[in-house]
Amino acid sequence: MSGGIARGRLAEERKSWRKNHPHGFVAKPETLPDGTVNLMVWHCTIPGKAGTDWEGGYFPLTLHFSEDYPSKPPKCKFPQGFFHPNVYPSGTVCLSILNEDSGWRPAITVKQILVGIQDLLDQPNPADPAQTEGYHLFIQDAVEYKKRVRVQAKQYPPLV
Amino acid sequence: MADDYTDELDSLFDYKRVQPNIVLCLDNDELDVIPASSPKRRKVAGSKVEKVDKNEKSIYVLDCEVEDKENEDWLPSPPKVSCQATVLAENSTIKELRLMKQELLSCALSAEDVLRSMEESVKEGGKSLQSSLDAVADQPSRPHNERAKIVISVQDKDGLKQFRIYMDDKFERLFQLYAEKAKHDLRSLIFCFDGEKIGAEATPNALGMEDNDIIEVHVKSS
Repeated sequence: MSGGIARGRLAEERKSWRKNHPHGFVAKPETLPDGTVNLMVWHCTIPGKAGTDWEGGYFPLTLHFSEDYPSKPPKCKFPQGFFHPNVYPSGTVCLSILNEDSGWRPAITVKQILVGIQDLLDQPNPADPAQTEGYHLFIQDAVEYKKRVRVQAKQYPPLV
Repeated sequence: MADDYTDELDSLFDYKRVQPNIVLCLDNDELDVIPASSPKRRKVAGSKVEKVDKNEKSIYVLDCEVEDKENEDWLPSPPKVSCQATVLAENSTIKELRLMKQELLSCALSAEDVLRSMEESVKEGGKSLQSSLDAVADQPSRPHNERAKIVISVQDKDGLKQFRIYMDDKFERLFQLYAEKAKHDLRSLIFCFDGEKIGAEATPNALGMEDNDIIEVHVKSS
């Protein structure tokens, strides 16, 4: 099977995640209706950082791994229309460490990806906008931007 | 051949003729009596013995030599021929034996190599066998214990607390223990595994938990 390396690595990632991960984060491979586990797609939760406008939100993120992982980074997606300057309308996260041609290294772990995205939430990168609404509000109307962020955090309450 | 035959018979039956030879033998002047060819032959025989010793051949060959000498002493003329014949025969048999020894040696060496490689493979095989045996041993041991225990880490914002719990034990007990330790009201706590709430009735077995798995505690903000 061509995905042997990817699957092997993902099995290791999952194993280490189960033993240790940052509080409030969730990361687990998807379980198909027939009960089998698909290691190539992970359903994750990123908690908004305490002390920021993102606090209280538990944002769902899906990681899509290709057979070329870890040579190539996974595609990380929030729900469609997620409000953030560096998230495409499709929900795909735009982050240097997730870019095959810039910051991605095969040694980057799932944990590092998720923590990296958590950091990005409160520290958008205006040099690399991915959506108009979030970007424009962020650079033009800070008050409205904060309000939108807080509203969104409430839209994603803890699942439990 | 006929002469040899009669001489041999003589030696067996005519003791008078044999008697003087014994005297000669005792005098050790026997060499004078025996024809010139005999000392040479003797030397050859002697060297043969040495060679035989070097080659560590069986004692049986040596015994033959001794017998030959005795025969010489007792019957000077006939053994001359027969002894030479035996020497020749010995030469060829020793050659044969040497060859056989070499063959055997090489055989033994190759056999040793085979043995060594066998031993190594057996060692490796033994390891995997051992591990599989261990695995087998582990499995039956569980039913013996009946109730397997695992360590579960409960993670709150401040860190991890480890708890030992039976695989078929309800989480209820662990939750109470944690609430006591953390000095929290149990009703304000939510325990999650992989983002899903753990019911008080759930067991590690039911949730497919493994040793050292983490469950998280969230404090209700009400």
